[in-house]
Amino acid sequence: MLNRSRFTMKESAMSVIRWLGLAGLMCLTLVPLGCSPDRAADGNNRYVIATVVKVDGIAWFETMREGVEAFGKDTGHRVFVLGPAKADAAEQVQIIEGLIAQQVDAICVVPFSVEAVEPVLRRARERGIVVISHEASSQQNADLIIEPFENAEYGRHLMDELARYMGEKGEYATFVGSLTSKSHNEWVDAAVAHQKEAYPGMVNVAAKIEDYDDQNLAYEKTRELITTYPNLTGILGSAMSTVPGAALAVEERGLQDRIQVVGTSLVSVSGPYLKSGAAKLISFWDPADAGYAMNKLAVMQLEGKTVQEGADLGIDGYRELAGSPDRPNLFYGSAWMDVTKDNLAQFETK
Amino acid sequence: MRKLILTHEFVLFVLVVLLCVAIGIKNPAFWSLGNVFDLLKSSVTLGLLALGVLVILISGDIDISFPAIAAFSMYVTCLIAQATGLGDHIAILFGMAAATGGLLGAFNAVFIHFFRLPALIVTLGTASLIRGGLLAFVGTRIITDLPESMVAFSRAQLFRQQLPGGETIGLAVSIFILVGVALLVQFLLNHTLLGRGIYALGGAPEAARRVGFNIRRIRFFIFALVGCLAGVVGIIHASNMRNANPFDLSGLELTVIAAVVVGGADITGGKGTVIGTILGTLLLVIIGNSLILMGLPTEWHKVAVGAIIIVSAGMAAWRRRMGRNSGRRK
Repeated sequence: MLNRSRFTMKESAMSVIRWLGLAGLMCLTLVPLGCSPDRAADGNNRYVIATVVKVDGIAWFETMREGVEAFGKDTGHRVFVLGPAKADAAEQVQIIEGLIAQQVDAICVVPFSVEAVEPVLRRARERGIVVISHEASSQQNADLIIEPFENAEYGRHLMDELARYMGEKGEYATFVGSLTSKSHNEWVDAAVAHQKEAYPGMVNVAAKIEDYDDQNLAYEKTRELITTYPNLTGILGSAMSTVPGAALAVEERGLQDRIQVVGTSLVSVSGPYLKSGAAKLISFWDPADAGYAMNKLAVMQLEGKTVQEGADLGIDGYRELAGSPDRPNLFYGSAWMDVTKDNLAQFETK
Repeated sequence: MRKLILTHEFVLFVLVVLLCVAIGIKNPAFWSLGNVFDLLKSSVTLGLLALGVLVILISGDIDISFPAIAAFSMYVTCLIAQATGLGDHIAILFGMAAATGGLLGAFNAVFIHFFRLPALIVTLGTASLIRGGLLAFVGTRIITDLPESMVAFSRAQLFRQQLPGGETIGLAVSIFILVGVALLVQFLLNHTLLGRGIYALGGAPEAARRVGFNIRRIRFFIFALVGCLAGVVGIIHASNMRNANPFDLSGLELTVIAAVVVGGADITGGKGTVIGTILGTLLLVIIGNSLILMGLPTEWHKVAVGAIIIVSAGMAAWRRRMGRNSGRRK
């Protein structure tokens, strides 16, 4: 009974939100916004900027929505976030088509499939809509692409931290979500290359173990690594699930003083292990800041400012953008944040 | 003697022993007590699900919705425990999850029995419905503050000991749930009328109906059973992981069905044993958890798992041809 009422309440709340959203969209279409941006009190143009995410409703993109809304509050531009109810490339394309019809000024997109959105983004640009892409370094039809950081640099950073905890010597293993996860492999490749150069005392005994973003697999593989390599002293994780899985195995065996677990994760799942010492450091980037940075870039582009290396987007991690040698419209922040036992408290909500 | 040697279970047993010897030669650490405990713990969730699927396969049906049912029961139970403070005792949580799972399983049976739809299509649909409903209407947030009783359950170990290097090992108590359920299913299948009815339904449904088995009751029972087991697996999984993640436990269905089929069950119904299923589970768990131990590079892991499944299934087919004259098999 309790269950049932929960369901219907949540359901009706969802449908109210849906209708409100739809009504809001219809209002937007009634006003011919794209052609003549109205003027704010301070004399600046006020633009309409849509942010299209991969999936609506999951924690990661709800956090991104907060960042986008913060940008709207700070600047007075009309910003909103849309996304398909489930991760689906075709639905995302439909949403962007709707936005073209509404003649928004700019579209910020986190594509589910970079290739699938190319044609619709080209159409948007042909209509004079500014397009900003995120998590899509290979996007062709975008005015600007912003990535939270350069993958190789991030990989080297993680290796530096692991090396510090391992005392720059000993055996370590690396994990990836799968051998086809592009960013994970770039992080690990750069990390291992950096280790070979900078930390000759360390040995990579098990390379790119796959955990398929599954905490249970990360746990089982770590147990197996502990059995196989009695001298193992370090683990480098890539997927959000690796650090909690590996740390659990380490904690269960009582080896938190010997084996150092470092990697990409979120405080919500890895916090308890940082506290217990079974994981030493996790790193991640804040989707709220990425949402803010995308919208800021959209405004800069709309105002005709040229974005170049060193540009400041007014939010931590994106204060001095790095460029890319072969892609003039691709920019990187340095937006990773490290969390250890010591600064855990200030990240408790992430 | 000839009869024993020709059983599928015996062949499978020999295969498991050979595999263990081979891995042990390659890396003696395989035989360490810690590793044996690890393998047993890893067998629990796969084994419990395999026992449920075994009963379904014997009856001639199939179910692929059980991972979704497991995730749903796990998440909803943890939410209720969080909201109400119930769950001081792990048994209450197991009961709630098993009941939720059983209801969802019965929901499958409604469509399969009354609408006469193929079980594959129905459970494919309900799997998507249950997982989608969980994510859309119940929640996507990972629950990290589980009831104390669950954490205590995952920490409970027997034969706990400290190795010279400071490492602690122990046997997870959840293994006894698997042993208990295996004995129950063995008793159900071979010593109850209901069990004989399940075999009869899978072997010849029309004949089973005519001799007076209540097909509706059997169908509802087996689908509710697999749902209950999925619920129990959900709680064990969440306890082990120390969090309830609604995205977890997906993609298990094919591994579980593979374990049951490698264990000798016939996908067309009427055949299968508990001991075979347990051996099939052990085989898959041992392969899955020994690839790093054998020093295989990651690129080869899938190849190795696929090869072992093909070899064991091939041995079963070969044995069937050899044993065609040796009379009726279960």
